[in-house]
Amino acid sequence: MNPTEEELVHQLSQPNHRASAFSVIVRTYQERLYWHIRKMVLSHDDANDVLQNTLMKAWNGLDGFRGDSLISTWLYRIATNETLTFLTNKRMRTQNSMDDVEEVLLQNLTAENYFNGDEIQLKLQKAILTLPEKQRLVFNMKYFDDITYDEMEAILGTTVGALKASYHYAVKKIEKYFSEED
Amino acid sequence: MKNNKNILIEEISKELPFSVPESYFDQFALQLEEQIGYKKSIIRKTIKPWMYMAAMFVGILIMGQVFYTVNKNIVSRNAENYETYVLSQVDENSLADFYVNEPAK
Repeated sequence: MNPTEEELVHQLSQPNHRASAFSVIVRTYQERLYWHIRKMVLSHDDANDVLQNTLMKAWNGLDGFRGDSLISTWLYRIATNETLTFLTNKRMRTQNSMDDVEEVLLQNLTAENYFNGDEIQLKLQKAILTLPEKQRLVFNMKYFDDITYDEMEAILGTTVGALKASYHYAVKKIEKYFSEED
Repeated sequence: MKNNKNILIEEISKELPFSVPESYFDQFALQLEEQIGYKKSIIRKTIKPWMYMAAMFVGILIMGQVFYTVNKNIVSRNAENYETYVLSQVDENSLADFYVNEPAK
């Protein structure tokens, strides 16, 4: 039987059980975190790198985790920061190139083997890439994962009202993109 | 003509159009466990069942050996008892006659 949230938090504070408790956490949350990251960076290789950084950062920062928030919220927060840092670095690297970072992400997406969507799904990904990063995060979390606004508030530190407005504008922009295409 | 004018976002499949390499998540977890030094525990966990099985096997062998020895002793003791019983039923003279008159083989 899997340990409860309280048991895991307790085990994390015990040096002898820390690694085994963290292993349970990795196996419980790795998939959700991966898809959270992948939706932002699009390429599998990049998502793999960011996920690894996220979990190693969580492991090295265990002393700072006191269980004030849920483990999942804490991990999502680290994953979000790591993803945004990755995108900022990528943007800086592509500053001198002809293409902007969104264009590079899209090229990676269509070039790699791990994209298996149809035409309309590709068009949706293109439309999502036109959104500002934070809005893209909110849209992905709500649209694909159906994360509640309260959970999002805890993860992103943005008020529920602002999140709702952000999602509303994102949907409008994407629908406008679809109507203007073709 | 704008064909997609009436497409509503909610009508598009919410399934993500991405996939991952086979066994990716299992491999990822193993790799990360190795990085945080959890490998030892995994090896111990894998070895433990084998150690239990080996101990059981040795136990069964020892028990078999003990059972075999005890059983052998009982059989030989029974044979000795039977011989003593038969001899006790025959008087000395009859026994002497038996050995004297026994035909040569």
